[in-house]
Amino acid sequence: MSYSVLIVDDSLPMRSVIKKTIRIAGYGKSAFHEADNGKAALELMEHEWIDIIITDYNMPVMNGLEFIKAVKDNELFKDIPVVVISTEGSEARVREFIDSGAAGYITKPFAPETIRDLITSLLGESDYDEKAFESDDGFDF
Amino acid sequence: MMKKLLKAMMDSTSEVMETMFYFPVEFDDEPEPLDIDAMSEKEPCLACFIGFSGDFSGSFTLIMPEKLLMVMAENFMGEPGHMITREHLMGTLTETLNMICGSTLARFANKEPFNLELPRIINIPSGSVNDVFFLVRTPDSWMAINAAYEN
Repeated sequence: MSYSVLIVDDSLPMRSVIKKTIRIAGYGKSAFHEADNGKAALELMEHEWIDIIITDYNMPVMNGLEFIKAVKDNELFKDIPVVVISTEGSEARVREFIDSGAAGYITKPFAPETIRDLITSLLGESDYDEKAFESDDGFDF
Repeated sequence: MMKKLLKAMMDSTSEVMETMFYFPVEFDDEPEPLDIDAMSEKEPCLACFIGFSGDFSGSFTLIMPEKLLMVMAENFMGEPGHMITREHLMGTLTETLNMICGSTLARFANKEPFNLELPRIINIPSGSVNDVFFLVRTPDSWMAINAAYEN
């Protein structure tokens, strides 16, 4: 299946890891968009169709919580599922994300299959190929 | 409290290094003053700092050789060395400390959220022979991590 995925994280390596994980999870035909903070993501969303958002919390300019609130307050964007991937793992912080409308939450550090399972539960079927996960690229699902 | 914080930091460092970078790590039994100046003279090193606030405030500092960081970036991103840029290296270092800090604080106090600053690259702390760092041993290298707090 092909989707339009927006990854919002100020860490270039982390954006690459998340993108690669989602590709290997069976969504390799998807289009990937990237932004390094919430404000840049909102600007990008003004002219790109987005099916799902993966966002960090701790970012400059506009953090993940402010970004989720802005997405959910926007009539055009409010139904887009938002997944938070963050080091912020306290119960109170996770509750803040969920109460703000996040569809899921993953704590860093994470195993790649955690992302795969959550994305699949939100987007439905993938072109998942188990052999692809057993490749030598450092990802061992 | 310092003992509890250091234990949480050690557990978090192990989890981050093994889960994200596929590196087993070992710690010395006790933190000790390290002559970071001398260690970084032997091989080029990079350092990163992150502050936090909440029930208590403090900071973490992480120092590691560039050579180890390159291997970590390769493992992290699943890319060969020639594809790794300086930005990838710096991003891997800051993300590593960000994960260690976030994971440590979540273990330490899970009820109230801490506020984490953005991690930043810093110069190797000069004259840090008196700073107490934990030496973290990887199979072929090392890194040093310091935790400090104030009530």
